[in-house]
Amino acid sequence: MITAEQKPISEIRGMIKPYRRILVLGCASCVAECAAGGQKETAMLASTLRMKAKMENEDVAIEEYTLDRQCVNDFVVRLDDIIDKYDAVLSLACGAGVQAVAEMYQEIPIIPALNTEFLGETRAQGLWVENCLGCGDCILYYFGGVCPLARCSKQLFNGPCGGSVNGKCEINREVPCAWQTIIDRLAKFGALDRLETIYPPKNWAKKQGGGPRKIVREDQEK
Amino acid sequence: MNTMSRLRRVLEKGEFAVTSECGPPKGADPEIVLKKAELLRGKVDSINVTDNQTAIVRMSSMAACSLIKNAGLDPVLQMVVRDRNRIALQSDILGASAMGIRNVLCLSGDHQCFGNQPEAVGVFDLDSIQFIQVVKNMRDEGVIVGGEKLESKPDIFIGAAANPFADPLEFRVVRLAKKINAGADFIQTQCIYNLDRFENWLKMARDKGLTEKAYILGGVTPLKSAGMAKYMKNKVSGMDVPDDLVKRMEGVSKEKQKEEGIKICVETIKKLKEMDGVKGIHVMAIEWEDAVGEIVEKAGLLPRPELDGE
Amino acid sequence: MPEKYKQTLALFYCQNVPESDEANRQLLEKEYGKQIRLFPLPCSGRLEPFHLLRALEEFADAAYLIACPEGACRYFEGNKRAQKRVQRTREIISGIGLEKERVGIVIRSADNPRTLAELAWEILEKISGIDPSPVLKRANG
Repeated sequence: MITAEQKPISEIRGMIKPYRRILVLGCASCVAECAAGGQKETAMLASTLRMKAKMENEDVAIEEYTLDRQCVNDFVVRLDDIIDKYDAVLSLACGAGVQAVAEMYQEIPIIPALNTEFLGETRAQGLWVENCLGCGDCILYYFGGVCPLARCSKQLFNGPCGGSVNGKCEINREVPCAWQTIIDRLAKFGALDRLETIYPPKNWAKKQGGGPRKIVREDQEK
Repeated sequence: MNTMSRLRRVLEKGEFAVTSECGPPKGADPEIVLKKAELLRGKVDSINVTDNQTAIVRMSSMAACSLIKNAGLDPVLQMVVRDRNRIALQSDILGASAMGIRNVLCLSGDHQCFGNQPEAVGVFDLDSIQFIQVVKNMRDEGVIVGGEKLESKPDIFIGAAANPFADPLEFRVVRLAKKINAGADFIQTQCIYNLDRFENWLKMARDKGLTEKAYILGGVTPLKSAGMAKYMKNKVSGMDVPDDLVKRMEGVSKEKQKEEGIKICVETIKKLKEMDGVKGIHVMAIEWEDAVGEIVEKAGLLPRPELDGE
Repeated sequence: MPEKYKQTLALFYCQNVPESDEANRQLLEKEYGKQIRLFPLPCSGRLEPFHLLRALEEFADAAYLIACPEGACRYFEGNKRAQKRVQRTREIISGIGLEKERVGIVIRSADNPRTLAELAWEILEKISGIDPSPVLKRANG
């Protein structure tokens, strides 16, 4: 899933300042999972903004709505019937959703309420951790299901570096050393000798070699 | 310029090598580099120049090495993979060789969050082991990553760092083997205070035949004070400072602590000289370069060997 | 003499509170009139931050929750969750310049179980120093 966190309220207010009829738009997918932009959070943010507007005697109408997903056109079009009521949309989607809505309704400013962060997992309730960089060339098999790109602070393929202490990364004692994790994991499979071979340089072209990426599947087209 | 690496010649001759370190200034003044280097002339075989150590912006290692080379000394160019992609790294190898810099130490580099540019991107296109392999292929096969041929090969004596005291312990020698298999000709270790633990590591390296494949230089750093000993013990990762060493430093008066630190350093060097597989020492006397000469002399390592053609 | 300003309280409570059934609730509402609005919950853990926010937005100078003592929650974790949500709400309102004290939680005492009426009175005392909410536009006078 994609994770995100809400921007500070002052930053949000700064961006919506010029507008008088605002739709606070939530997304029931990834950002709901990480408690940042789902229906609940959308209701909370809208209420908070309305309260502040009242405190400041601002003349602004703030309404809320939540889509199943903001990153899928077929869901976004459901706004067709209501979008004309507003002069701005405050979107609680991740960056992908914000842009998808902006692509659909190009005349209206779609303002991000969240800072999109990383691809990751819900490790436990209230805990999300980064584990994928979207490199386009998955190497998880080789490293026992632990990504050295996303989880090693220095993206080492032939780690560890000399800085890990008690299985924690030198830059932050709360971050597990990915290489300690990889070694422990491969040891469990009895595949530790795999690490004796030098892993060659990464093909970064699969991530950024061709500019912004896209996938086309004709078998999926209408 | 066509001179060979002095470090390489000393090691190949079977002599016990001595290297030390010079940190470039946070400014553009070449005199600072030259002054530091001058303190080391005749006391060491080669001088390492750090590369934006701790991710703090300093004069480039390559530039400082060039100044040192032109002063008639043998620099070791430290290169981290944190700041440059493979295009820049390979280009710098060619440039270093062109300027007569004959030794390169391939390192990961401290993470950018530690320095004075924490908002910078960390490049890490190659890691240090891949980089060693890349340099070796440039030097021996005359090719860059991808296989394209160079017009002329760089002449580089390749080094890597090793930390016998870092976690995970059981993996340290595997990593050392990887670096040597990748092409490291010489290894400089993290500074040694715990000789027993170092000896364990060395034995494992010997058993794997690694001490025959690469020249291992033991790192040493003189303690300036009891405070420094405690700091390194508790605050610096990957370092092992035994309790009795801290006690020893605490046991002498403040004015005598520097002297004691040098004593300990000299004793360590003498013990390292006796170990099978240790081919030299690397003295890291950070901001205390003038102590290096005294240490090397007291350890009985002066004068440095004379080589033909010098 | 103009009527002294009295805080309006939104009071959310777990149905486990003694003497908090429908009959008692109606009695209280009669007694306090507009000053208190009561919201019974099957468990304090069902309270969401936006319930508190909406109360503050619409009519309340303060919004409070009564939760059960530690270990006594019928649904085990509800009261713990409630505490965290109240805390979060306090942070949110603080972010727009409202006093944190406008939102709070009262954990019932295990050895001194008080009735809803007693707790309501206690909370009204607690908030008696709070200014009229700048969110609610009241007619002056």
